[in-house]
Amino acid sequence: MSVSEKKTRIIEPDSLIGKRIPKMDAPEKASGRTRYIHDINLSGQLYGKILRSGRIHALIKSIDTSAARALPGVHVVITAADIPDQRPIGVARDHFPLKVGRVRSQRDEIAAVAAESEEIAEAALKLIKVVYEDLPVISDPEDAIKPGAALIHPEPHGADGTHLHLKQGTSIAHRGKADNIAMRFDYAHGDVVKGEAESDVVIEDTFRLHYVTHCCMGVSGMIAEFDASGNLLMYSNTQVPFLHKREFAEYLNMDPARIRIIQPPIGGGFGSKLDIYPFEIICLFLARAAKRPVKMLFTREEEFLASPTRQPVLLTLRSGCKKDGTLTFRQVHTLHDNGAYTSWGATTPFVMMQTFSSLYRVPHCDYHTAAVYTNNPYAGSFRGYGNLQATFAIEQHMDMMAEAIGMDSLEFRLKNAQDSGETTGQGMVFKSCGFKDCINTAAQRSDYSRKFKENEANRGKPGNIKHGIGMASMLHVGGGAKIYPSDGCGTILKMDDFANVTLITGASEIGQGSETVLSQLVCEELGLPISAITVVNNDTAITPWDVGVHASRTTFIAGNSAIGAAKKAKAKILAVAAKKYDAAEADLDLRGGFVIKAASGEVVVELSKLLRNLHFQDKAELVMTTFYYEPPSVHQGKDFKGDVSAAYAWASQVVEVEVDTDTGMVRMTKITGAHDVGRVLNRLGIEGQIEGGMVMGQGYALTEDLMIVDGVMRNPNFRDYKLVTAPEIPEMDIAFIESMDGEGPQGAKGVGEAPSICIAAAAANAIRNATGVRMFELPFTPEKVYRALHGQTPKRYWKPWKAE
Amino acid sequence: MTELKHYFAPTSLDQAVECLKDGDVTILAGGTDLTPQSQAGRIRIKRTLMNIRHIPQLSGITLEGREIRIGTLATITEIMEHPLVRQHLPVLVEACNHFASDQIRNAATLGGNICNASPAGDTLIPLLLLDARVELASMPEAKLYRHSMPLATFFVGPGKTRRSLCELLTCVRIPLPGEGHVAHFHKLGTRPALDISTISIGIGGTLREGVLTNVRVAFGAGGTGARGAEARCRHHRQGRRHRPRRGRTDRRRARHRLVSQGNDP
Amino acid sequence: MSLKHDIEFTLNGVKRQASVDVTMNTLAMLRDVIGLTGTKYGCGEGECGACTIQVDGVSLNSCLMFAVDCDGRELTTIEGLANDSKADALREAFVEHGAVQCGFCTPGMIMQADHLLHKHPHADAECVKRGIEGNLCRCTGYKKIVDAIVAAEDGQRTAP
Repeated sequence: MSVSEKKTRIIEPDSLIGKRIPKMDAPEKASGRTRYIHDINLSGQLYGKILRSGRIHALIKSIDTSAARALPGVHVVITAADIPDQRPIGVARDHFPLKVGRVRSQRDEIAAVAAESEEIAEAALKLIKVVYEDLPVISDPEDAIKPGAALIHPEPHGADGTHLHLKQGTSIAHRGKADNIAMRFDYAHGDVVKGEAESDVVIEDTFRLHYVTHCCMGVSGMIAEFDASGNLLMYSNTQVPFLHKREFAEYLNMDPARIRIIQPPIGGGFGSKLDIYPFEIICLFLARAAKRPVKMLFTREEEFLASPTRQPVLLTLRSGCKKDGTLTFRQVHTLHDNGAYTSWGATTPFVMMQTFSSLYRVPHCDYHTAAVYTNNPYAGSFRGYGNLQATFAIEQHMDMMAEAIGMDSLEFRLKNAQDSGETTGQGMVFKSCGFKDCINTAAQRSDYSRKFKENEANRGKPGNIKHGIGMASMLHVGGGAKIYPSDGCGTILKMDDFANVTLITGASEIGQGSETVLSQLVCEELGLPISAITVVNNDTAITPWDVGVHASRTTFIAGNSAIGAAKKAKAKILAVAAKKYDAAEADLDLRGGFVIKAASGEVVVELSKLLRNLHFQDKAELVMTTFYYEPPSVHQGKDFKGDVSAAYAWASQVVEVEVDTDTGMVRMTKITGAHDVGRVLNRLGIEGQIEGGMVMGQGYALTEDLMIVDGVMRNPNFRDYKLVTAPEIPEMDIAFIESMDGEGPQGAKGVGEAPSICIAAAAANAIRNATGVRMFELPFTPEKVYRALHGQTPKRYWKPWKAE
Repeated sequence: MTELKHYFAPTSLDQAVECLKDGDVTILAGGTDLTPQSQAGRIRIKRTLMNIRHIPQLSGITLEGREIRIGTLATITEIMEHPLVRQHLPVLVEACNHFASDQIRNAATLGGNICNASPAGDTLIPLLLLDARVELASMPEAKLYRHSMPLATFFVGPGKTRRSLCELLTCVRIPLPGEGHVAHFHKLGTRPALDISTISIGIGGTLREGVLTNVRVAFGAGGTGARGAEARCRHHRQGRRHRPRRGRTDRRRARHRLVSQGNDP
Repeated sequence: MSLKHDIEFTLNGVKRQASVDVTMNTLAMLRDVIGLTGTKYGCGEGECGACTIQVDGVSLNSCLMFAVDCDGRELTTIEGLANDSKADALREAFVEHGAVQCGFCTPGMIMQADHLLHKHPHADAECVKRGIEGNLCRCTGYKKIVDAIVAAEDGQRTAP
């Protein structure tokens, strides 16, 4: 064939970015083939079960496990007495997995059994006899801070009855505390006294945020096995495998190198798997004692009882503005029910202060909070992480202040919304910022202004059905959050002889679609179809370090890490091609599985052929690259100030409701959301995340209520804890604002938590628009709305209180 | 732990009532209530577990003279889809349509719902409005004995019926409603069905020239148990309202305001 | 020791026998005795639909059914449906429409959707939402699941 006859093949440009890409694991999941932790069985495994406290607050006088030990099929029965070197867990180190001396809440773990079957293990639990001496129950955090309140973690007594003041540095679990304050935070920027003096309108209200829980469809579980050399293998659904590897090593007094965590596909996370829980340590104790693998799964009731909740918050907000609409100050006091033991609920103030200080432009801000011990369940991290609670208060005040100065609520918000380039009082630097676009887009698409006025006018008219429309916006980190020494993620990438890529990433897939997004980003970089990639992401023995799946960070940080490794691979490939085909690297590109001339799209060589040539030559080489991405954010100072994330994200949501004033029933009819996501990567995936988050927010606002009375959970089941069901969902209109973040992968920012955050606030504003009544406490059940409509709900005021 | 010693699946009514003679029998029909309750330890299964699903006389929905006979094993789905029920007993269809979920409707039986006598039992209200009668079978001596009673008499209180331990509920008989009969069922809840009723109520009567007579009211959840009442209730009509449902034909609804005995949940 | 009973039934088109504890529910039988783990435990009380299977042509919660009651009946689980080409359109619709996130509710959803579409081949969104009211999902907000089921009926479904 002569040169002139040789056909040149042109590859047209195409992109995976912004397309609707089905999740890579969806076919397996839709066939029922995916093996979750519940479906994994190791040969020789035993089944672990936990005996939970029969009391809310009590001394443990004695535990008799003899009958349980004697039951045929029981291998191991353990209590705290069997593990004298037990170490306390949790951020405050106040929590022994197997309780020592006293129980402090309904879910407290007293003993555990490993047996041949679940049935035998449960039967053994029934044979364990515990004698308790009841103590007074504190079920209200306001009671916990009263002078003379019973202490949940009292200091231990010596033999002569005097208090033992153990030294600082000993964990709280050992030395107790002289009060019930678990944690406190104080934050300020500017001067709120000055801010108040400058205000023309000052309002103050108390808001109350309730208990809800994650309700992952797959219950919690773990499988643990020590091998013949004492190395530990764990099947765990943790969202932070590397952090946990290190912590488990500490709790078991082992070398972390001898711990391996494998993450099976997860049946939902939402932040519920970011801490180490007693059942996990207990499962390890059982496996160690039994010298057999131990599998432990929760029942659904146990999942309700023993999973962390969302942090309930009692909040008093004082806000001010000038009559021209400029916000002047926010002063906030919150009281957090810490429950019996400290977990990530207590640290939600980290995020709440971001919202208080930086959602809209606020020159002066003051925030004080304390988490106090009670005998209630403890709260953990849950999608949105304090931001829902803070936004609920702030966005109601935005409507209230606008009304007080006679300004249109939309105009009021736009006046105070920040732009790109601003730095907030807390030191957040807004690079890409689509805040105003979000507000305007949501308002326009929902016809907010017209409906708002129309609904107001209809309030007094006859008819029991009233329509309402309400708006709220949110700010959240979108580029990770530097709360750990490193906020980074590592990637290892290799290519085989057929131009297939294996991406080994530290970032876990928790159902949110990170695997698919990372594949998209790598294939985009290397000009390959998405079918050409395999992702390995679930084994600490294989994958490089990542801090974990939280703070909506995975797309941003793991994405940049993957792109970094892919870019290196591309550079190497183009260098090889340039040399081989006598071209300039800058003139070449990768597209459609080929090396091409960048300008024309003309094929130079098939990529797989190039790779095989590279491999099977005298100086054989493979394409293998690595990259660790650390975002350019900073740690906050001791004053909690600093640019803690590499990017920030906004969303505005307009909620429309229909209120039946005869019954108090609120139907959410439509949610219009505008989300600043930087850039849409997987359109199908991001829509799914947002729709799911919106419905989770709907549940928080209207239907979900975990009822804890005197420390007892009254509704630990789906019959009485109401998740939103399919017929109840609203119409959802979602718009994306692509502010193209400079640091984000392909311009994208994180979005995982955003969609739940403003729904309750917008719903409150909508109910007010419909009925004239404002609801300060969640959830908006028919009973609560009915009572509020009929003036039967006294407005509660919580006097701001600051821990000294 | 159960005392369970025998499992028995009779294929005739005679076999079943013979087995019931000693009274130490737990009856298994659809199982939608017995399964979770027994697994949670709230119900203890007795010495014999008797599965009645293989007894042909207990199934079927038929018109017998001027009565509709619904076999005890009829599932909620079968009832709400049956042409006889749809034509003559729309209030029963209405209640079935608000019952749990499709999966539970496909398995739960009318007999089970009746014998549980839960105040939240949705099917019970329309049955009371419709003057249903239950038929019970037993074998007091050597042969099959049947007797029947009005449903209103059958219910004694929440969870309590007049069925003795050696009796089996075989069917429900409902007289064809007369000319001008109207009835409606209402369940208070934020979901169309899946909620267990917190307040449920039914009202029926004969409507002639704009006047409602022979009014019967049945309270379910929120009252003190499913019961019917010849009601002298204070009521006023709010007129008829057409409420077209999407995809369905128009249905006329008469809206009545009643003296409610519902307790606040 | 607990009372056992032998049963014979058809599972995913194959006749088989099993010896089951009389108090065992069908979900436990499928997962622990037979070893098919596609059907999920979500709550054990019939409130979440994760355990949905089909028995004699109708969908029901396997956690609410005694295992002994399977005797003489025809069961279909997600594993059986996965091999049924008539359900291909439904499965593909779930994948294409983004109706799968964590996937835990998916087997139950698909079993229920398959049954729903058999009864109502041209189900619209409102009918579908009522049809899956007994299936809980925490990830998707249901919208894409509803879209997928509505789309599937336009696919190559054949009449029952």
